[in-house]
Amino acid sequence: MKTSAAAPLRVLIVDDARLARAELRTLLAQIELVELVGEAEDVPQACAEITRLHPDLVLLDIQMPSGSGFDVLDALERVPAVVFTTAYDQYALRAFEANALDYLLKPVDPARLAAAIDKARQPSPPATGTVSGDDTRSALGAEDQVFLRDGERCWFVATGEISRIVVDGNYVRVWFREHSALLARSLSALESRLDPALFFRANRNTLVNLRHIRTVEPSVADGYTLGLRDGGQVEVSRRQARELRERLAL
Amino acid sequence: MHTPETRTRFWWANLLPWLAYLAMNLLLTRSYGGWNSGVVLICVLLSAGLYLVSGAIRHQALRQRWLEQELIALAWRLLLCVVLGALLVQLVIAGLMRLALALQWVSLPGGNFSLIATLGYWINTSIMLGLWCAGWTGWRALRHARESRIARLRAEAERQQIEHDALRARLNPHFVFNALNNLRALILEDPQRARELVGRLSNTLRHALEHSRRDSVPLSGELAVIEDYLAVEAVHFEDRLRIRRDIDPAAADALLPPMALQLLVENAIKHGIAITPGGGELHIRAERLPGVLRLHVENPGTLGRGGAGHGVGLAYLRHVLTRVHGRFALEQHGDRVRATLEVPQ
Repeated sequence: MKTSAAAPLRVLIVDDARLARAELRTLLAQIELVELVGEAEDVPQACAEITRLHPDLVLLDIQMPSGSGFDVLDALERVPAVVFTTAYDQYALRAFEANALDYLLKPVDPARLAAAIDKARQPSPPATGTVSGDDTRSALGAEDQVFLRDGERCWFVATGEISRIVVDGNYVRVWFREHSALLARSLSALESRLDPALFFRANRNTLVNLRHIRTVEPSVADGYTLGLRDGGQVEVSRRQARELRERLAL
Repeated sequence: MHTPETRTRFWWANLLPWLAYLAMNLLLTRSYGGWNSGVVLICVLLSAGLYLVSGAIRHQALRQRWLEQELIALAWRLLLCVVLGALLVQLVIAGLMRLALALQWVSLPGGNFSLIATLGYWINTSIMLGLWCAGWTGWRALRHARESRIARLRAEAERQQIEHDALRARLNPHFVFNALNNLRALILEDPQRARELVGRLSNTLRHALEHSRRDSVPLSGELAVIEDYLAVEAVHFEDRLRIRRDIDPAAADALLPPMALQLLVENAIKHGIAITPGGGELHIRAERLPGVLRLHVENPGTLGRGGAGHGVGLAYLRHVLTRVHGRFALEQHGDRVRATLEVPQ
């Protein structure tokens, strides 16, 4: 096996069945440069352990007593690399197939597990690499990924891929790639978590990713209309127009 | 079946035979004696009268549900209707003809309208009306047979669909693959228990494949199957699954529909034990009451939570229970859900 990284990959196992955890432990022991940092058997414990241990990779069971693996991800501010494990869950599998999230079917094929581990190793592990343990409330960088779920579908999205975030009733709608997903957070809460160098409050209802702006055109009342790379349009209020000029000036 | 729409359709359709009859009579009249105003009037009155009387017979037959009666009862009722109906038609014709002749509206070749003619026409009319009745009942019988065959096929298809769905749920892939995964871990940890798990899992799968087509099976047999199934689940849930059994020995040979109790136990695990942090107690109780077998399956949980997948099993349960006139109820008791099944013996 090619050992590009000297440090072992730190893995956390989440599964409600003791034997299933034992089985994954056995399989992981046969793979080089993997360090098992912890185990969790239910949703709250998984959230706590991920926040505490910052694993590089989580092997995450889908069905647990207090909820699903998706609930774990929903509760996390910052999502580590995740490989789902499931015995059989046709609805969840459909969500994965649509979005190419990685998943393993139990009983887990050792070769497939090794491949998933390799994949997690290759890019600098997205979430935790740059963040030290005590600094969990720092802003999310462009490479940090968040987990988005809308109904049956779910995605891992790097914050740099998000083009805009718009208030939608009590929630916000996040636009990324060619999709959008509803998120049960407030816009100001998200704004405080996102990198201010990347996201700009264009008006009361909208955060826009500055790197996704393609055109800037003057609009009524001294504001601007921003054309985005994905074809979307965002109005900049007069109050914010000045700040935008400063931010975009050389 | 007897809607205003079908009634309207009938009255239109019924014009057809009697207009044909009228046309035939007029044609015969022309070829024998040539046109004559009196004969034409008779022909018209005859068809109109039979049209109304045949409709009245149909109305009466449907309202009194004659078609559902014995063949003999139907036959003599129709015969009576035919004879009386034909008589009525002829009497009305005779009355109207005498009036028309007296007022010199029409003329007849013979000059007058005899009572003997009425008698002859009566027999003739009865035969026509009889033929109509035979045709109508034949048509109804044919349609009824086809409809009941379709209804039977539909019911059969529905039953097979329900059984198929229930079988699929029995061979629940989630259950099977979790068991295999646990087995793989157990082979290293405790080979003796791993061997036992293979036996229990085999029994469960074999029983699911050999789905019984019988309407009822003894409780003791069902309990044996459930023990195998629970042994497999116990390996998965370990101390999260605690089982309490209260089985009345007198209930061992009581009869119940196949899979009924298993479905309840599976639901108790799937919607209770599996989604309750820390698991809980699964309580199975069977009592033999006078004339009835009563089964309780109780688990921790809340009704309506984790509802997905409930549908198939319960649909099957309700279906098999209607066949044996049993009763099924699902109730919340505090923080536990209790399923009750009552099967008359």
